[in-house]
Amino acid sequence: MRRAFIILALFAVCAFGQQAIKVGFIAPLTGPAAADGFSALQSALLAVDYINAHGGINGVPLELVYYDDALSPDQAAALTRKLIEGDKVVAVVSGSYSSTSRAAAAVCQELKVPFVAAYAVHPSIVQVGEYAFRVGMAAQIQGRIGGYFAVRELGAKRIAFLIMNNDFGISLAQAFKDAATSLGATIVYEKRYPVGETEFRDYLTAIKAADPDLLYAPGYYNEAANITRQFRELGLRCWLMGDEGYDSPKYLELAGPAANGVFITTDLDRDSRRPITQFFLKAYEERTGIPADMVGASAFDAVMIVAHVLRQAGTDPKAFIVYLAELKNFEDAATGPILMFQERTAVRPMQIQIVLNGKFRHFYEYGPEEPIIYYTYP
Amino acid sequence: MLGYILTIANFACIYALAILGLNILTGYAKQVSLGHAAIFALGAYSQALLVTKAGIPFFASLILASLISSIIGMLFGLPSLRVSHDHLVLTTIGLNFIVVAIVEYFDFFGGALGIVGLGTPQIFGHLLATREYLILVVGLLILALIFCWFFSRTWAKLLMEAIGEDELAAAVLGINVARIKLLAFAVSSALTGLAGALWAQYIGSVFPKNFGLELSITMLSMLVFGGMGTIRGALFGALFLYCLPEALRFIQNYRMLLNGVLLAAMVIWQPSGILGKGGLLDWQNIVRKRKAQ
Amino acid sequence: MGQIIANAVILGCTYALMAIGLNMVYGLLKILHVAHAGIYTLGAYVGLLIFRTLTKSLWPGLVCAMVAAGFAGVAIFHILYKPVLRRPRYIALIASAGIFAASQELFRLIAGPYPYAFPAQFVFPAIRTKFFYLTSTQMLILSFTVVSFILLYFLISRTKIGVAWQACMQDMDIAGTSGINVNRVITLNFFLGSALAGAAGILVALYRNSVFPTMGALVSYKAFVVVVLGGLGSMPGAVVAAMLLALVESLLSAAPWFEFPRDALAFLTMTIILLFRPKGLFRR
Repeated sequence: MRRAFIILALFAVCAFGQQAIKVGFIAPLTGPAAADGFSALQSALLAVDYINAHGGINGVPLELVYYDDALSPDQAAALTRKLIEGDKVVAVVSGSYSSTSRAAAAVCQELKVPFVAAYAVHPSIVQVGEYAFRVGMAAQIQGRIGGYFAVRELGAKRIAFLIMNNDFGISLAQAFKDAATSLGATIVYEKRYPVGETEFRDYLTAIKAADPDLLYAPGYYNEAANITRQFRELGLRCWLMGDEGYDSPKYLELAGPAANGVFITTDLDRDSRRPITQFFLKAYEERTGIPADMVGASAFDAVMIVAHVLRQAGTDPKAFIVYLAELKNFEDAATGPILMFQERTAVRPMQIQIVLNGKFRHFYEYGPEEPIIYYTYP
Repeated sequence: MLGYILTIANFACIYALAILGLNILTGYAKQVSLGHAAIFALGAYSQALLVTKAGIPFFASLILASLISSIIGMLFGLPSLRVSHDHLVLTTIGLNFIVVAIVEYFDFFGGALGIVGLGTPQIFGHLLATREYLILVVGLLILALIFCWFFSRTWAKLLMEAIGEDELAAAVLGINVARIKLLAFAVSSALTGLAGALWAQYIGSVFPKNFGLELSITMLSMLVFGGMGTIRGALFGALFLYCLPEALRFIQNYRMLLNGVLLAAMVIWQPSGILGKGGLLDWQNIVRKRKAQ
Repeated sequence: MGQIIANAVILGCTYALMAIGLNMVYGLLKILHVAHAGIYTLGAYVGLLIFRTLTKSLWPGLVCAMVAAGFAGVAIFHILYKPVLRRPRYIALIASAGIFAASQELFRLIAGPYPYAFPAQFVFPAIRTKFFYLTSTQMLILSFTVVSFILLYFLISRTKIGVAWQACMQDMDIAGTSGINVNRVITLNFFLGSALAGAAGILVALYRNSVFPTMGALVSYKAFVVVVLGGLGSMPGAVVAAMLLALVESLLSAAPWFEFPRDALAFLTMTIILLFRPKGLFRR
């Protein structure tokens, strides 16, 4: 009788020992955002492989359970519930845009499961409650740094804005504007364009007439590529500055030689010597055949951080969020070290990269000692 | 797992309510609308604004949102008095784009950042989680079904069908075409707007991009698939086509492809839909044919 | 200002190429051919395929794109529209929409969701004047549009099949009983209209240097507006409306105080004009 019990117990231990820890993941795998969804998913899977190759979560393998939200908030909400209640995930990572991330975050908050957004920027996502976190840089900070760089380092005094009309573009532009004007620059042109716009010549003609020193055009790489080409075609001679939405090999490919000399604010430093960054860039390209982009890097980091917290604090949700909120100087992120979390959004050094000869190159960096990279500073 | 199923059920019923509305306009009066997502958006945004900006309690907002959608929907019906058929379809597409553009560009409607923070709905202080919300939604759906059933026995519905059959003949017979058309728009928008309001409250936020042309196409497909012009068709179409992608999740990557092909195939080979008059599973018809033999 | 107008004209050409195809289908069959946008995308992808596998030169790709698009259009007619010709119009519309959505997914599954660059090579003159200049790509688009429309005009008005076509547009049943091979007219109609859409696809891919699965959606709605504005079924109307629309869009976009997305603007214009002239600017 006792022997049977011991065998049974051993069996149970083995079974539990083999059971994986599941982390949920949603991304737009079909629909207009499929490119970003694909990038995010592949990077997340890459992170899981890396984690499992390095001992998993204290010996237990990590498993990613993922679903396609097709960029629809009602699917995102339903899927998050499915992940939590059906698949029993211990945390949810969102590799999707803001509308879907927000719906997912609300469900996670309600069900008290940790949620980490990889790159969605809408401020309300982390405001749903103490269970929602964001790994990407806040748009407000990124825009602010852009403004500082433009005025302080590039000496721009007259700035034109061509803004993508969504949460991403608008929050970036607002922060950029505030920072630049507080340093004495003037705004000579400002217009919003709809996502998906391909024809910018009219806007650019008007911008040319306004004679700015710098054009700030926050947006995604598709539109940015068109803006860049048409910008050069029309013969504009000012600086062109973008954001992490440009941070994709597709931007370089689509914009071609026109992208030479364009600046972007981003956290991914492709020239970085950090081993994890180089690992990610190489491994992603091996896995998918295309070079990595910011969306992928952010998704990779989100999973890496979740794994780290799981290792240190275990799977209990309360302990998880307490640990994550207090986390300092996390180095295992491809996009650069995460210094801390403020308002549940990651704070990290910001890069200014420049496009030279068809590649993103390091140009300037705002490191931990710069007050402007922090959410709140005196 | 239960939570997931309840969530799906919630959305399926909300869509069913919306399609019941569409049926009145497109099923009875044959005013084909490829812009009904705009009506849905009217309800959603009204609810969002009333709850967040005006602080009106949840249930009262629902009623108000439905009313607002009805009135504005009626205004949308004005072009239908001048144009018909294909021009009307294009005009409804246009209205869809215009409504989305307005809520996307004017900050009063939240602009591209949308409106967030609708909060958990409550009735008389009682919080409504998914389970309770489902009870509310199903309750409203049943009320709507009863309403539609009664409506289908009124003169108004007959007049709408007459206009749908042949507008000129209807006018010659003395029917006030303009009035009936506007009525169709109004009633249809009330139902679909209510659905939109419920949707917005459940998700807790509204973003402009969610109400585009794709949603309008989905809505019309649900109606046609189920069986245009019948209540059971509207109900079935919405429930089935909403749940189908969820059921097909195991072939994740090919889901949407199948959806499109299925729709096209269905509509070509069985245009009366599944439950419509003369449709694939139209029991009344089948029984009648059997009796006649 | 001259530059704005010049750019607008080129934009108008791209709209016109799409609108003509739509008009051809509508004029004959009274169907709103949403899947037209899928053919446009097909043209771009075929061009891309030729570019990446056979030759970097543009011309073979252009020809292949047009031919492939033409055949695809005819196929769509036979599979999708022929069975439902006698049914209410919204049936064809929904089927078309379904196939269009499916085609976007198909492109994504085959070619991937990422956009591809399309730097095909070709030689073509550019124009530079005091008031404006047009790059060689822009000149190519302009010339192609002008040439195809002239050819189309001659085809419709001077050839035997063109006259048969006009007869079918007036009344298909009577034309059929008069001994006209209606099927042949329809086939030709779809082939030419789709070929033009395919050409539009590859030309715009060249113009914007990108090919991606959802590129058709952006243009298709605009094309519908043009078709309605110009009067459903009227070819010269479509061309004029295309230019008009492009001009209005460009001028308003350049105006600093005006902020409204192009698509909505297009539809707003259409709605307003339809209220006053329900049959479009040029009645048939």
